[in-house]
Amino acid sequence: MKFQGRAWVLAAALFAASPAWAQSTIKIGWLSSLTGPLSSAAIAENKGVEFAVEEINAAGGVLGRKLELVTRDTAGDPTKAVSFAQQLVFSEKVHFVIGPVNSGETLATVPIVARAGVPNLIIGTIDELVDAKKYPRAFRAINTNRQWIEAANKYALEVLKKHNVAIIGDTSGYGTSSAKTATELLARAGVKPVYSALVDPNKTDLTDELNKAKAAGADVIMPWSAATGLLGRLINTRGDMGWNVPIVGHPSVMAPAIRKLINKPQYWENTFAAGPVSTTFRPDGKLPERTQALADKLRPRLGGGEIDYLFWWVALGYDAVKIVEHMVKTAGGTDPAAIQKAFESTRELKGAYATYSWTAEDRNGFPDLDITVNVANSLKDGCFKAAPR
Amino acid sequence: MIVLVSGLAAGALFAATALAYNVMFSTSKVLSVTTGHIAMLGGVFGAYAITGLGLPPLLGLLAAIIVGALFGYLTDVIAIRRVVSRSDEHLWLLSTLALATIVQQGVGLWWGTEPRPFPRLIPQDFSAGLADQKYWLPIVTTALLAVALELFYRRTLYGKLFVAMSEDTFAARARGIETDRIRALSYVLAGIIGGIAGFAAGQLTFAFFALGLTLTLNGFIALAVGGLGSNAGALVGGAALWLLNAWSSNTIGGEYQNTVSVGLLMLVLLLKPEGLFGARNVRPV
Repeated sequence: MKFQGRAWVLAAALFAASPAWAQSTIKIGWLSSLTGPLSSAAIAENKGVEFAVEEINAAGGVLGRKLELVTRDTAGDPTKAVSFAQQLVFSEKVHFVIGPVNSGETLATVPIVARAGVPNLIIGTIDELVDAKKYPRAFRAINTNRQWIEAANKYALEVLKKHNVAIIGDTSGYGTSSAKTATELLARAGVKPVYSALVDPNKTDLTDELNKAKAAGADVIMPWSAATGLLGRLINTRGDMGWNVPIVGHPSVMAPAIRKLINKPQYWENTFAAGPVSTTFRPDGKLPERTQALADKLRPRLGGGEIDYLFWWVALGYDAVKIVEHMVKTAGGTDPAAIQKAFESTRELKGAYATYSWTAEDRNGFPDLDITVNVANSLKDGCFKAAPR
Repeated sequence: MIVLVSGLAAGALFAATALAYNVMFSTSKVLSVTTGHIAMLGGVFGAYAITGLGLPPLLGLLAAIIVGALFGYLTDVIAIRRVVSRSDEHLWLLSTLALATIVQQGVGLWWGTEPRPFPRLIPQDFSAGLADQKYWLPIVTTALLAVALELFYRRTLYGKLFVAMSEDTFAARARGIETDRIRALSYVLAGIIGGIAGFAAGQLTFAFFALGLTLTLNGFIALAVGGLGSNAGALVGGAALWLLNAWSSNTIGGEYQNTVSVGLLMLVLLLKPEGLFGARNVRPV
């Protein structure tokens, strides 16, 4: 009888404890396009996300609560992203949503996550993804598309002193809107492109466009497209024409996939793209300390030798989880309204990818100062050299 | 001039796709959505054989042909045979679309979704300009394919069987022709044509998993413009489509290129539904 009584107590204790345990984890929904188009960015980000979760949990979690990662593979498909977003916020009842990875998917999921009132960390670059009024709990960690374009424009106009700009965009939604933004930003600097064209990403040849750009007197080509096939053809056509005009544009012109597409290695010279300061080697050949520290910690997980992921994605994934940790600590828990306040009061949170600040009005956490211009063919250890100034 | 030649090379690939459509259509009256995917497979497997396995270009071509032929045969077995024998409805549109999607996604998972390079087939410097192999290879190949196909139709027994089936399948069957076997053979032949074309144009298109649907659409437009069933029409249609594409991206901008080519299709279908070279089918009632 005595034994039975003890068993009851034990069972009651377990019963009472289990919901408390479920409450005690901090659930992070991670919408990641681990397969499909743009999976390369997501796979690299995932390395950072998983590492940060393990690191934080090994150190005892946040406020005594462990992090629980709920990953969903959207395959880059907005319809899948939408159903997974609903699943995460309504069934899984996550405390945070990180992602999705691609802007097209994020456009579809942001309103859903916002309606559920769940804090959402945005890692897509297009401007429409954040809005302090419509989506008060969506905060962006990555730079904006505009920041990339501004950095590239500034480099072309002020450092290279080239004012006869040829803009090449692609016919996708992203390419078209980026080319438009680039034209607007150039106009503010008093520069009107001498040539601008939108090209089908599958167009087999760019000779026509480059001949026209050359005839129009272009002295710099600025491509705004994430289509590596198109960018590879652009670089090859410039090389085959023997036209040594600089290319300054979208970070995809320095993607490792380009290296394989170009006809000759020297075709990739004189090519520059916007990139984060955090993954740019300083003149002394060293990386910023916080980047180097993360690279050293992560290297064994990334294969041990030279890192062949674009390291800025890894750093962004790592930071996303560290931002969650910071907000929970600041808010003293996971109450969404308190988390929103914590974001709005965050100034200069030092991460591996950037130093973030958000305010009540501005949902973009990535500062202009943290963006620079890189030499495209200088990839080493997942990082790049700074463009000469 | 370079615009002319480079555009003509892309037009040649559309024309070759239209030829493959024609061969399959002649025996089955099916316009298979997989047609463009055959050429995609030719490019991807050609690149894989040469770069991945280190085979010489000729064996790479052979690999492209084998994969194309195999895929053609499988298309018939999986997506055509049962569907066509059981129903008069155009269910083949769904079955071939399903197969095309499966193949494209499969290649995407295995090969990757980024375009990959296609190797040089003949040693040549990249500064050759107009004489570069990436332009003339697809043009010459498509011309040879068209001539060979015409000879095949006119000079060989099997070719004549194809023609007989295209005119009247029931009459052909009544005459003792094994129509099922001939149809399967035509799908293998279309696979070979597509495989060769995709291989020859590989340097132009890169080895890219998502190429299929673009070719399926543009090949179809070339075919409809030139006239369904006519090989000369397929060539002219391909060239016409290229001319229009070049003109539209030149004058009104690349973002309207697809609108203009689909507009051409609508125009031809409205004004001359049988196409420029198509035979007007008059059925006496």
